[in-house]
Amino acid sequence: MSRNDLRARDLVRRYGGLTAVENVSMDVPRGQITGLIGPNGAGKSTLFSLLTGVEQPDGGKVLLGQRDITRMSPDARSRRGLVQTFQVPSLFPSLTVGDNLLVAAENRRRDYAGGLLGLKARGRASALAVVDEVLDSLELADIRGAVAGTLPTGALRLVEFARALCARPDVLLLDEPASGLDAAETDRFSALVRRIADEGVAILLVDHDVDLVFAVVDRVYAMVGGRVVAEGAPDVVRNDPTVRSVYLAQGPLASKSTSAPPPGGVSPPNGLSPLPQPAFPAAR
Amino acid sequence: MTSIDLALTGISLGAIAALSGIGVLVTYRTNGVLNFAQGGIATLVAYVFREMVVEWGLPIWLAAIIALAVLSPGIGLLLERLVFRPLARRRASAAESLVASLGVLVLTLGMTAGIWGLGSRTDAPSIFPRESVTLLGDTRVGVDALAELALVVVFCVVLGLLAAKTRFGRQVRAVVDDRQLAELSGVPADKVAAAGWALGTTLAGLTGILLAPQFRLNPYGLTLLVLETFAVVVAARLASLPVAVLTALGIAIAQSELKQFTFDGDLGTIFTVLQSNLFIVALLVLLLVVPRLRELGNGDSGATGSFSSRGAPPSGPVSRYEARRDILGKLGGAALLLAPLTFAPADLRSAFMVPALALVFLSLVILTGYSGQLSLGVAGYAGLGALFTLKLANGDFFGLPEIPGIWAMFLGALMVAPIGLITGWPAIRRRGLTLALTTFAVGAVVSRFVFEQPDFASGLYVDPLTLFGAELNDKAFYFFELVCLAIGLLVVRNLHHGRLGRALLAVRDHTEGAAAVGVDVRNLKLLAFTISSVVAALGGGLITFSASSFATDDFAPLQSLLWFTAVIVFGADSAAGAIIAAGFIVAIDVLAPAGSSILAVGILALALGWMPGGLMSAVRGGIAWVARVLADEFVPSPHTDHAAASRLTGAGSAASPGGAGRAGADGAAGSAVRVVLPAGAPAPTAFGEALLTAVATHTARSGLALETLPSMRAAADASADGQNRAGHRQRLPGLPVERGV
Repeated sequence: MSRNDLRARDLVRRYGGLTAVENVSMDVPRGQITGLIGPNGAGKSTLFSLLTGVEQPDGGKVLLGQRDITRMSPDARSRRGLVQTFQVPSLFPSLTVGDNLLVAAENRRRDYAGGLLGLKARGRASALAVVDEVLDSLELADIRGAVAGTLPTGALRLVEFARALCARPDVLLLDEPASGLDAAETDRFSALVRRIADEGVAILLVDHDVDLVFAVVDRVYAMVGGRVVAEGAPDVVRNDPTVRSVYLAQGPLASKSTSAPPPGGVSPPNGLSPLPQPAFPAAR
Repeated sequence: MTSIDLALTGISLGAIAALSGIGVLVTYRTNGVLNFAQGGIATLVAYVFREMVVEWGLPIWLAAIIALAVLSPGIGLLLERLVFRPLARRRASAAESLVASLGVLVLTLGMTAGIWGLGSRTDAPSIFPRESVTLLGDTRVGVDALAELALVVVFCVVLGLLAAKTRFGRQVRAVVDDRQLAELSGVPADKVAAAGWALGTTLAGLTGILLAPQFRLNPYGLTLLVLETFAVVVAARLASLPVAVLTALGIAIAQSELKQFTFDGDLGTIFTVLQSNLFIVALLVLLLVVPRLRELGNGDSGATGSFSSRGAPPSGPVSRYEARRDILGKLGGAALLLAPLTFAPADLRSAFMVPALALVFLSLVILTGYSGQLSLGVAGYAGLGALFTLKLANGDFFGLPEIPGIWAMFLGALMVAPIGLITGWPAIRRRGLTLALTTFAVGAVVSRFVFEQPDFASGLYVDPLTLFGAELNDKAFYFFELVCLAIGLLVVRNLHHGRLGRALLAVRDHTEGAAAVGVDVRNLKLLAFTISSVVAALGGGLITFSASSFATDDFAPLQSLLWFTAVIVFGADSAAGAIIAAGFIVAIDVLAPAGSSILAVGILALALGWMPGGLMSAVRGGIAWVARVLADEFVPSPHTDHAAASRLTGAGSAASPGGAGRAGADGAAGSAVRVVLPAGAPAPTAFGEALLTAVATHTARSGLALETLPSMRAAADASADGQNRAGHRQRLPGLPVERGV
């Protein structure tokens, strides 16, 4: 299967008088992890909804490979390979973990008549194979038979991620995938995302946890007030004067939440210390 | 009559509709419950009012005070305290509150029908004198209209001031925002909610008393009339009082003005219907036009997952034990369904309705239980199926030739499919209350514009069914019904199993999540709507043949509400529940006076607060509970005093050498149960430590009790005081005990 890139061109979204997203262009290339950061209200979530199709832009285009998918519904986009996960895990609580994954694995075919007549669906074996493979690679085989509604949050995130993988994505959009995970889980998760990207999937990571984003991504977009103010390699964006001033005005760059210290980092003492400077390996 | 005169006659109805709308809005804004029971309460109060004036001879003013100052608010307070406060306490979903209000509607309908019968009465007294006064020249206007208008203005002003200027208004807003949070900040949320209910039901009662003399008083008719005023509430988007009032007056006056025109031909017929049904048309149109209602909460009251207790059957292989139990259950069900074939002829005919009704209920299982969409218009599809079937069988369906009854039934049901598809269209983007109201409006419009029109629904005769020229006798007809039911069950099974079932449940459980992994949400919803309408239509056809006539009342809009409630009560996602519900309703209707089945469903619906998954899951849970209680019979309660506990332990150990060695050893070990933490786990906090100790103690106690049972019995036999403690055991001698019962 040929992998596709996701590209956004001049996206605009207005709510009444407020322009939430203003002429944003963005590339999410295959095999790379692209990050999207920005303070609250910067337009990250709106941009994310425009990419997934939950909302329609007032201007601009979304392209998947060569194809214009701007007006496509979220499920049509997903069948073409653009798959998202949610800020709040969105499993189907009454189904087992295995069935949750199976729903995603068999999404490409829409054989309703056969289903109604009770015929065995074609391609069922291959769908099951995909589920088996994903369960094995994420070490989830143990909880395959568990009903999703009974799982703890950390497991929910992982299963949702597994479900997204079962949809065989070309592009994976992750909305705050690390919220609710502890430090160890976050580390494991970062490694996992890197592995998926190495397999040729294009990944967009939106997160408040700036440390996480800088640690794993190949390229970052920083949004402020509905515009992209900086883009490029993590080191470049980190030292961008606009980004620095925004984050310094808002508090520490790693201001994920007020209660918990950011995983993998130490809270700056007075909230005004300069950005963490250690040189991150840009990739791998 | 001139336009002005017509307008003035419209004002009265408009003012009443406005009062009703204000009542619904007040209840909704204070409690978050769209009160479908408004119609039922209005009717009940109107009947009581009439009873007091006409039968008991009370003066009108006294009767009015009793009805409006005591009875109506009393109903509201009672409902809040007994039904809706428990729901609010456990943060029930809006869908559950909706079903509870439907339950109250069904209950009040059942009470009214049970006490006063389903017949119409024309002697409902009027509060205001039936006089008119002259205004401006020779225009005359009724005193009642003026008084009603004055009432509307008073309510609007008082409520407006209350909301804007007083502490109470602020409290209401706080409670509406977040009941729990408001309570934490010291707002008496229960009082606010109770006040909202009392005011809402008082206005409902007022609506009923004012409407009754203008129309005939009959349980179904008046209730539906009040429900039609929901158009006003929808126009107000569930929020704005002034918009509601103006819409009410506007629709009523427009409806009145239409009376000065007449048209000929088919258009004229439709127009005539419009003249008396503008409210229900407005309800449908407004629902299709108004983009979004301002629903309280997250607006996700379409989440019907709370009605369902089970997920999809697991995709893996089932154990042989389960398969055998499954087959046994199916055989038992089939035997019960076949039983009427051995009944006396009259009883067999009564049983005709069971498979027919079961099919209609199955259609709701598909829609609500599996795909998670509320539908309050199922009677519309059932009625259309019946109508098409009869038209086809009679040979007057747009020039189609006469078709034998059986094939007409299947064809008629299939012809409803496109209608289900079209009416399912609005459902794609709608959920929650909007969807519930839209389906209700569709059902009501179909009923008013099709079923109640002599052009469509008269001169329909029901010939006995024939198969290959031979007339079906009663037994053969019942068997044919079972075949239809089997087809319906097969469809339901296929919709519930395999990838179709998984995808439908995925949409029901989390629509956005399903879309995110590529499940075709739109087409799945349409599919569910279409299939459900066909199944309902088949059921409708069978209902007509069962009753040997097409009766408009069988497919009245309120039937939809009753049927929906019944399906939820018996378990929305249970096909067996649907069949049992049908059997239950038919049995009660046959054995008890008319209206009893409505009453029974209403009572069960109110009990839904204690059995969230419906009756079927309550039964499933009940069996597990009985098993547990039986097991507990042999387990001393945790409150056993220390002396007794130590004595038991002693007895257990003492008896161990004498035969029950294993039990004794386990009992001794049981007293020393320790919770072992996994290697590498962090040390527990003080609270965790306490928790682990508690768990260990409990485990030790119950483990000891189970394992030392034989020796305990011996000890009880031996000691005099032990007989008291173990007294209940003597009634259950020698019952075997297993771990994990």
